[in-house]
Amino acid sequence: MTWVTWRQHRGQAAVSLAVLAGLAVTLLLVSAPMRQAFSQDGIARCLAADPQAGSCQNTIGTFLSTWGFTYNQALVALLIIPGLIGVIIGAPLLGRELEQGTWRMAWSQTVPRTRWLITKLALVTAGLVALGVGMTLVFTWYRTPMDQLTGHFTYAAFDFEGLSLTASLLCAFAFAVLAGLIARRTIAAMVAAFIPWLAIRGLADFVLRQRYQPPLTEHLPASTHVLFGPNTTSMTGHLGDWVLSATQTPAYVSVTYQPASRFWDFQLIEAGMYLTLATAALATAVWLLRRRAA
Amino acid sequence: MTPATRAAPTQAPALRTHQLGKRYGRTWGLRDCTLAVPAGAVVGLVGPNGAGKSTLLQLVIGLLDPTEGHVQVFGQTSRAHRAVTLGRVSYVAQDHPLYRDFSVADMFHLGRAMNPAWDQRLADQRMASLGIPLKRKVKALSGGQQAQVALAMALAKRAPLLVLDEPVASLDPVARLEFMGGLMAAVADRELTAIISSHVVTELERVCDWVIVLSGGAVRAAGPVDDLIAAHRLLTGPRTAPHDGVPGVIHRADSHRHSTLVVRIGPGDPAMHPAWQAQPVGFEQLVLAYLQGHSAPLPGQDPHVERPVVPVPGTVAR
Repeated sequence: MTWVTWRQHRGQAAVSLAVLAGLAVTLLLVSAPMRQAFSQDGIARCLAADPQAGSCQNTIGTFLSTWGFTYNQALVALLIIPGLIGVIIGAPLLGRELEQGTWRMAWSQTVPRTRWLITKLALVTAGLVALGVGMTLVFTWYRTPMDQLTGHFTYAAFDFEGLSLTASLLCAFAFAVLAGLIARRTIAAMVAAFIPWLAIRGLADFVLRQRYQPPLTEHLPASTHVLFGPNTTSMTGHLGDWVLSATQTPAYVSVTYQPASRFWDFQLIEAGMYLTLATAALATAVWLLRRRAA
Repeated sequence: MTPATRAAPTQAPALRTHQLGKRYGRTWGLRDCTLAVPAGAVVGLVGPNGAGKSTLLQLVIGLLDPTEGHVQVFGQTSRAHRAVTLGRVSYVAQDHPLYRDFSVADMFHLGRAMNPAWDQRLADQRMASLGIPLKRKVKALSGGQQAQVALAMALAKRAPLLVLDEPVASLDPVARLEFMGGLMAAVADRELTAIISSHVVTELERVCDWVIVLSGGAVRAAGPVDDLIAAHRLLTGPRTAPHDGVPGVIHRADSHRHSTLVVRIGPGDPAMHPAWQAQPVGFEQLVLAYLQGHSAPLPGQDPHVERPVVPVPGTVAR
């Protein structure tokens, strides 16, 4: 079965490797001038001393305006990439067998279909984990200079670093495998799996993530400049804190935020959510395949 | 026609079903199917589309579990999704599906990986004798060659029961002949039992020594072809002749002046009404009579209670 799985998926494996290599080369080329600027501008020195100092603010501001949006916020456009990869690989796994009728050949061999599916799922999942981890490492390396300035809570960082990317990729894959079994068509299954995946991704990014743990509240001097989001010069004074809201009163500014130190907790929670959904979808697929009237 | 059984009589039937039924939602795809096919038989499974042929075959090969009753292959009960069941039956599905981007060698590699009893030499030899290169991709093969690859895979699995679902429906006449020729030679060589479904009756007449007629999810007739033909007569008479007195009418066809009846004659058959002239019946005529007879219930026969199922081998008077 290992050979059969490899033979059926080796094309996808080659394309995935090529995509990963292309990504690595592209980011390497883009990253080189950014890293050079980072060291030339003396930003590391600035961060080590006092990032709130006026001269440093200017240096960091210049760096961010040059490299921030174009090369990092632009990553947000890639938020759907794990979903696309997941559904492209997941949908044909059962969808194409059912669409082209080859299931009648595949499932009438001596290996029972449940074992056939579980073996394929295990091996393809392993491949996708390798791909996800590879992409995560490339993105994390690429963002190292920027992360030192903005922390990891921006969308362009959180979704590409840690566990989130791999877990959301597996979630899309699992949805597409199940959709392929139900829709019995590859393209329909891709669409049917991608839409709920995108909805969940949007929900996680824009609604749930800030609520994974109750935020902290702090009272700051009334003179504090109000600034939202995860920023270099967070109004809390800690790099990478994610400011959710701030209320100005005559006496003080009340600020609600998620501290930067919660990054890994939040990664675990989000990955856990995606992996639970993925496991549920795959278990349903195996169960449906067993009881489905051929 | 070859004798119905070539194997020793003590051997368990190649296929035995008992009150087998499969329901899809509220409709029965197959119901109350009781059969015993001896080892070594080459069985034609005939019926119109939607008759339940594929359902019966999928129950036999272990792709489906029955709603009621059971199937035994060589004495062992078939259970869907079990390796023991799947390993006892080779299956060539309709349109002989293969992976299009695989080479022939890849398909055989798959067969080897998924079947413990795989016979690589047999598969390779069949390709060599047919002149099909192992390196060629499946999508570059003709329909007839693809069918041959599927057949080679089924034979190399080395299962004692071979099941083919409409194997030649998509082939041109020359490829049909070649395929059936190769199939018959392999069946004879290896003493296999084969079940071949088709809606083309003439296709089966040349190769089958056993027949199962299926329509509307029920078995209309089953038995050795020779016994069935011996047990039926074609009667012709004037259109006005009544057939109330004629026993065992399967089907009546009326033309302008004449009527023809296909009748089953029992043991110790009574004399026919003098208005009717008896003749032997042909294979195709007999099968069609059972298929058509089903649509118009015969007098005194409630099709849901008593179906004209023809007896199991041995009980038919010659």
